[in-house]
Amino acid sequence: MNILKITILFALAGSVAIFAADGQVTPVSLEAAREQGRVKSRFLKETKAPVKTNDVIPKADVAYFQKSVMPILKKSCMNCHGPKKSEGRLRIDTLNPDLLAGPDVERWREIYNAVSNSEMPPADEPGYALANNDRASMVDWLSDELNKASLVRRNTKDHSSFRRLTKYEYDYALQDLLGLSYSLANRLPPESVTEDGFKNSSELLQISTMQFEAYRDIALRALKRATVSGDRRPEAVTYQISMRQELEKATAKKDSKEAVKGKKNAKTSKNQQQLLDQQTGESIPFPAVKFAPKPNAVAGQTPDVSPVVLLLPSSSELKLDLDRFLPDEGNMRVRVRVGRSTMNPEEFASLRLMLSAHTSNDANFSQVISQRDIPVAASAENPEFINFDVQLSDIQRNPFRKLTTTFPRRDEFLHIQNISNAFKGGDERLHLVIDYIEISAPYFEQWPPKTHTNVFIESANKGDEQVYGREVLTRFLRNVWRRPATSREVDQFMALFAKYRPGFSTFEDAMVEVLATALATPEFLYLTQRVSNDKSKSATISELELASRLAVFLWSSIPDDELLKLAEQGRLRQPDVLSGQVKRMLADPRSRRFSQNFVEQWLGLDGLNSVTHIPPQLRDSIQEEPIAFFDEVLRQNRSIMDFIHSDYAVVNENLAAHYGLPKIYGPHFRKVPITAQSNRGGILTDAAMLAMNSDGKDSNPLKRGVWMLKRILHDPPPPPPPNVPEVDLTNPEILKMTLKERIVDHRNKAACISCHAKIDPWGIAFENYDALGIFRTSIKNKPVDATSELFNHQTLAGIDGVKRYLLLERQDQFARAMVHKLTAYALGRPLSFGDRADIDNLTAQLRRHDDKLGELIPLIINSNIFNSN
Amino acid sequence: MNNKSALLSRRRYLQGTGVALALPWFETFAIGKPNANDTPKRFVSIYHPDGVGLPLKSDPAWKDWSWFPRGGEKDFELTKVLDVLEPLRSEITIYSGLSHPVARKVHGHSNADQYLTGAPIGGHGPYKNTISLDQAYAETIDSLTRHSSLVMSTNGGVGGPRGAQTQSFNREGRPIPAMNKPKQIFDMLFVTTNKDAAARLARSKSALDLLIENTRSLGRELSKRDQETLDQYLYAVRDTELKLVKAQKWIDTPVPKVDTRNLHLEAEPKEARLYFQTMYELIYLAFLSDSTRVATFQLGRENGEGPHDLLSRAVGLGAAHHLTHEVKKPGGWKNLGTYNRYQAEEFGRFIQRLKDTPEPAGKGNMLDNTFAMHGSASSSFHLSRNYPIISAGGKNLGFKNGRYLKFGKGNEDNQAGAGIDTDAGWQGKIEVEELPLSKMFVTILQRLGVETDSFGGYSGTLNM
Repeated sequence: MNILKITILFALAGSVAIFAADGQVTPVSLEAAREQGRVKSRFLKETKAPVKTNDVIPKADVAYFQKSVMPILKKSCMNCHGPKKSEGRLRIDTLNPDLLAGPDVERWREIYNAVSNSEMPPADEPGYALANNDRASMVDWLSDELNKASLVRRNTKDHSSFRRLTKYEYDYALQDLLGLSYSLANRLPPESVTEDGFKNSSELLQISTMQFEAYRDIALRALKRATVSGDRRPEAVTYQISMRQELEKATAKKDSKEAVKGKKNAKTSKNQQQLLDQQTGESIPFPAVKFAPKPNAVAGQTPDVSPVVLLLPSSSELKLDLDRFLPDEGNMRVRVRVGRSTMNPEEFASLRLMLSAHTSNDANFSQVISQRDIPVAASAENPEFINFDVQLSDIQRNPFRKLTTTFPRRDEFLHIQNISNAFKGGDERLHLVIDYIEISAPYFEQWPPKTHTNVFIESANKGDEQVYGREVLTRFLRNVWRRPATSREVDQFMALFAKYRPGFSTFEDAMVEVLATALATPEFLYLTQRVSNDKSKSATISELELASRLAVFLWSSIPDDELLKLAEQGRLRQPDVLSGQVKRMLADPRSRRFSQNFVEQWLGLDGLNSVTHIPPQLRDSIQEEPIAFFDEVLRQNRSIMDFIHSDYAVVNENLAAHYGLPKIYGPHFRKVPITAQSNRGGILTDAAMLAMNSDGKDSNPLKRGVWMLKRILHDPPPPPPPNVPEVDLTNPEILKMTLKERIVDHRNKAACISCHAKIDPWGIAFENYDALGIFRTSIKNKPVDATSELFNHQTLAGIDGVKRYLLLERQDQFARAMVHKLTAYALGRPLSFGDRADIDNLTAQLRRHDDKLGELIPLIINSNIFNSN
Repeated sequence: MNNKSALLSRRRYLQGTGVALALPWFETFAIGKPNANDTPKRFVSIYHPDGVGLPLKSDPAWKDWSWFPRGGEKDFELTKVLDVLEPLRSEITIYSGLSHPVARKVHGHSNADQYLTGAPIGGHGPYKNTISLDQAYAETIDSLTRHSSLVMSTNGGVGGPRGAQTQSFNREGRPIPAMNKPKQIFDMLFVTTNKDAAARLARSKSALDLLIENTRSLGRELSKRDQETLDQYLYAVRDTELKLVKAQKWIDTPVPKVDTRNLHLEAEPKEARLYFQTMYELIYLAFLSDSTRVATFQLGRENGEGPHDLLSRAVGLGAAHHLTHEVKKPGGWKNLGTYNRYQAEEFGRFIQRLKDTPEPAGKGNMLDNTFAMHGSASSSFHLSRNYPIISAGGKNLGFKNGRYLKFGKGNEDNQAGAGIDTDAGWQGKIEVEELPLSKMFVTILQRLGVETDSFGGYSGTLNM
């Protein structure tokens, strides 16, 4: 083992030595690279104001092309892309230099990308090398002409932002509209994903008959949950478990002396939950009994804190047999009064709920029924209530609970679990201490519930169904449609109500059916943009439409009352009002949905579902990390270059342990400083990227390379050609090769080389990370070779090399990619050539604002493109 | 396969070119909807729990009471368990070497749930199922018949996760409650028309009218291109309207009159023969009247007590589940074999009845247009491997019968897991190769006219 380590050290030292002997200077630090790279930005150099006005018709500058660009092309390009040879089927001599009127814009765009990224002319053809000022001259001309061509095409856009809400937007919209805080739309099918990775793109958001039927069904069910029928509060089933009473009951049965044991004794028993009287030190095992609801109990009690408690050690659970009395539906409120036995700030304990049943003697089921773990913050001396709400009809119930026979078992078990990182022992051990538990269903915080009065508003006209019906509808339709409903429209729905009313015993029951129909109208399901008859305004969306666009961008939902009011008053576009609203929206917890949905789609985090090698206990943390990182950059208004590299990581205890970052405790994500030795920083080395771009056993450089190009650089490689030869894993010669050797072997096939030369180097540079994103220096006892060469002969030496290269040479490309992705997401449509000028303009503004993510959001919102039809 | 759908290959082409899946959800499964006037294509699956007898060759009981036949594809020889099917030899096919891969190491008690779905339900913890074979077919011919499927079991309802009492699961993986009372099934099929349903339909109709009007007025304010997008919504509303019209048609159409002579509608499982024959007769009548073209019937639940345990009374035995635990006792293999023989006999009676009935509006007899399956998700004791499956009929759908088809490798004499009566079987290593049952399901779906090339996560067909 030692010999092996030494060999690796030698190998590493050797490569550094060779590097130095090659005459290369020591590479600059990543911080310096970021500084130096920024200076190179073309967007920052542009002195002239970007072409902006719509009234000046831009003209192509062919004269400059003939005079200055053509000679460069002749010298450096045309031998391979001209009459003699046309590599890549490109002949520059036949391209029309008028980008505005000519047909060759797409080709010129490719040339622009290849030349500005220094991919062309090829570095191994020194005879054709471009002088720096020649390259600049050519790139500048192309950039201007492409920009003008894009402006000309802006008004003939290929895509519209008119689209239906995505599954998740619909779900949030329904929740926000009705005031319900749990998912309602699980039964809708998942959305298709565009090549860009977006689920909210108008081109793919179709609607089918079954889906339409699902919308109607979901809406009716959701309304029935939000509202109540009749005046009487439904009787609840309530369990009240007081530890003091349980102890009394248990000791009354036995000889009390027998039950008395030492306090110490109780705390050392890990799996047997103990009831403990803290005053007397008396303790007994928690009785294994069936609990029964208390007749006439009133839920929501706060009895005096009792010295008799249940001790719940870390990573253990209290399993309560609730027999078979929980109702079929309604909200179950579980209240647990709980505190911590010690307050060591490095230790955490949370509560989680599970429900289980035994469906046969060799099968059972169990499922987590709490939406999230809730941390316990209170001390044992001053315990506090933790509340869980569970929708009983949404969870798997024991279907045998209503049997009249006793087999299969009818009981349902509620598990209260202590999820903890407690690591101290002895007297300092962290237990949860519970003295009172209450379980009640259906539980209402108030009667009638707020969600009900939200729909069936208080009114003096309640006695007159015609008048009151109009009031209910007018308010509801305005919120559903995000615009005032006209009187005629309310008439239509009142007419439907009139048809329904005789079939129902109460006003509410009939009205709920009518409201469900409103929730199936296209104006709820779609983001509309009306065409104005006023030609001069036709390009700009209305303020109400702007309110919807803002809400769906930042909240993945519909606008709230404040936004709607401002839009109705015509004040939303006032600059101070708009910027105030954007700030308010980003400060609202709903904006967390933006971080989550954008990052999931931008980075393609769904890919985590297509691999099976991630340990379940790491799964959620791995998925969360890039979202938490983005959220940090957004909230603290940091530079987007932090995504490439940062001197901090955003992790929780779980991930920190995975990465080998010491002394980070607790399940919450937070920013922590890191050193270069940790091999982290930015998002490229997040376990999520590295794990989902693996094949389940090992890293997959090809997937990682494609991911870099698509997600980070927005330069997606073309799809693989048909009939790609599979790597023949039955060939013993191939089996012997390392992965990198296999890739090189595959790449050398003629059909594959051109694309792979572009993809593979990016992925190979990540070889120091295994399939779970752990840093490694050897693979199967061979030192890791993570050095690769890009198409333009740039060497990428491992992850540091990638980061350094991106920071030195590709800042503009990354900034533009980021702007492109965010704008496509904000608009909910694919971007096309007609949007190029707007994207360039936004990128230039972002770069001038020091690449700050927090500035980019208002820049997009104020842009021409965001406010256009 | 030649009949691989053009649509599917177009989807694949689109995906390959990066246009991504741009086709609406669900309907992809059901393009080329069959016509009501076509000769019906029917599917029925019978499930029995507890598996079958699988003694070792060295056991004297092997010769007579091993469930699987001996011999080759055509010259197979039925043991005493299945010899009741000898008169129908040319109408049946027997399979070995098939199972759902994910269930091979899960206790047999959990596995009735996944027999028709192939879902990885496991033995413990969270539970999620997927659509069953019968429903994958039913949803493509929905509304051609009054009932899209007939779901029955002896125990009724849905049972519990890993303790299913229904064989049918919908597109979302939710169990469809099974009916178990002959009288209720008969009333649903041949007596009642639902007043509530009529009122619900009328309400839906009014709601759709309003939605269409509302959509049209919105459309007038949109750009031409956006109107085209909205048309898709309008299409969905209209399609829903058409469905209502069809549903209305069924409400207006009188329920068929059928011959009730063979029905004993008050029969219960303890009157095993009467109950069993009545349930089969109800499937037969539902098919004959074209009330539905899809049926499943589960004979009880895996594991233990319940009405189905009484079915073995028909052959003078008690506690059906117990028979599998007592195979090593004197006469044990014979008892289990006798019970399985009885199940085969009733299946045979049903098959014969279909065969004897000319297709009411089409070619051949009813059996020729019906694919009937009979099987279990266990072979030997608690062992979810080498499912014992018999199929019958389907000649006009492309099925060739009179065969014993052995799939997989290394278990040609069905001795893997034979002779066990402990859990060492299902916990033991998988030594032989079996093919995914889902491949057979793909073949069945294709022959029923469903355009798909995968099921339950497996693509490709079975050479059958």
